[in-house]
Amino acid sequence: MLWFASGMRRLLFLARAGLVSPARTPRRAVVLGRLLGGAFLLCFATGLVSHFIQHPAAWMGFPNQPFWIYQLNQGVHVATGILCIPLILGKLWTVYPDLFSYPPVRSIGQLLERGSIAVFVGSSLLQLVIGVLNIFQFLPLPFYFLQVHYALSFVIIGSLAIHIGVKLPVISRHWRRGRPEGVLEAYLDDEDDTERSHRQDDRLDPTYASPTRGLTGRVMTFIDSTPPPPAKVSRRTVIAAVGLSAVTLVGTTVGQTLTPLDSVNFFGPRKKGDGPQGVPINRTSKQADVRTSALDPAWVLTVVGAADRRVLDLAALRAMPQTTVRLPIACVEGWSQMANWRGVRLAELIALVGESDVPVRLRSLEERGPYKTTTMDANFVSDPTTLVALELNGETLDLEHGYPARIIAPGRPGVLQTKWLSIVEVIR
Amino acid sequence: MKAARAALILLGVGTVVGGAVQLLTTQRTDQIVGVAIWILGVIVVHDAVLSPIVLFVSLAMRRAGKRVPWAVLGLIEVALVIGAVVSLFVVPELFAQAKSPANPTILTGDYGLRLVVLWVTLIVVAAAGSMVYLLRNRQKVRESTSQT
Repeated sequence: MLWFASGMRRLLFLARAGLVSPARTPRRAVVLGRLLGGAFLLCFATGLVSHFIQHPAAWMGFPNQPFWIYQLNQGVHVATGILCIPLILGKLWTVYPDLFSYPPVRSIGQLLERGSIAVFVGSSLLQLVIGVLNIFQFLPLPFYFLQVHYALSFVIIGSLAIHIGVKLPVISRHWRRGRPEGVLEAYLDDEDDTERSHRQDDRLDPTYASPTRGLTGRVMTFIDSTPPPPAKVSRRTVIAAVGLSAVTLVGTTVGQTLTPLDSVNFFGPRKKGDGPQGVPINRTSKQADVRTSALDPAWVLTVVGAADRRVLDLAALRAMPQTTVRLPIACVEGWSQMANWRGVRLAELIALVGESDVPVRLRSLEERGPYKTTTMDANFVSDPTTLVALELNGETLDLEHGYPARIIAPGRPGVLQTKWLSIVEVIR
Repeated sequence: MKAARAALILLGVGTVVGGAVQLLTTQRTDQIVGVAIWILGVIVVHDAVLSPIVLFVSLAMRRAGKRVPWAVLGLIEVALVIGAVVSLFVVPELFAQAKSPANPTILTGDYGLRLVVLWVTLIVVAAAGSMVYLLRNRQKVRESTSQT
């Protein structure tokens, strides 16, 4: 047992010795932690907005303008999520020696703290991994992405609050530049006096601190003979590595929503203009199983009001006043695509059954799937740019884009822009 | 400070519990086990696979510090980190692409080729930067020796 304890102690000492770097300081941890914490909060806030637009509580309302509000929200959500990858790796690199603190457990409080860090780190890493896999639409997960991504966000933000609470003295000490960079906890001697003198003896005793025999001995000699880099260079290297990898990764992916960076969108899973009529798609007519019903010449759009009902075929819809709007399809997965749409204003359509300024329920021809029925608040229905679109970029709507008719509205996620529209029903 | 810390920790515990309840009520038991295994998995991959690799590489770089100027090593390290971080994103993307995406508008790029181009660019930039640094320094050394 004693042998085991001393072996472990030696191993942990070795790990910490190997990890000594002038860039691994509490000040660095605070600087990176601030950025990462901010990115997490932004990701959480935009994630909540997107969640509640799709699953609103009864009292919630969302703005229909500016039309780009959802595009911005989701673009920011996915881009900051991607930004978190280099930030979290940099943060974990900075505090890696703390993983090898000795003794591993000093008190109940410290055990709880280490446990909470494990939950924080584990759920944060998993959140980023599944978030990225989701934008690739590659989910070999043994659980549901949506609910787990949502639940983990609370675990992470809660763990962040705990972490800030625990580390508040360190954070406030190193918030501003200028103080000494400090020493990581793993290097601090906060054991009792006998332990401390014991440790000092250990350090003086070369056979302990740098055993020359065996594997550990060789590793120790290797570490001892490798000089640490000068502090200034080391710190600059870390800042440059985290900063430039963040710029590179975000810069080569955010073009899937940010038009000016479209030309350098090398690694984004979607590319602007890729798809039928220049617009990417998510749910296909095959997945939705609407190929027969949507192409049926007998297709009609039914508009149901409180007292009246109208049935319109495609010719009747085309005979109504047509409006052209320029609106983006903005996907929850963080890509977006601007397009020209032409069709009938939804407000004019429900006016046919004597309604105005009311919420509606929209039904697709799709028989299964979570978005076969969606609801739309009155402010979106009344918006003059909300259309039942029949044309996209100057052509008749492609089957994959919802032929014969689909909804296009400002400020709504793509999944709520109901394709293969079948029924518009006023909600009373 | 004490009150703020206590408030943050309490608020945090409450939020974590809320998230845990959400998880437990929306997933089946086997799915909850799945989440736990994946959390453990990502920790192991980070702490026991990726970090030791980084440690080993940086130790090797430090050792080279006896002969190579630190600024040059720093430049190489930055290039390695950029390439590695982008690869962490793109390699799973290549896997997803190989599994034939749900529709032809997803994952349309030639990501493998672009990743190779990125690595080549990083190597060229790091090499050029190192050359410039070494040439300048040699001049400085000469200047200082000629002055004395």
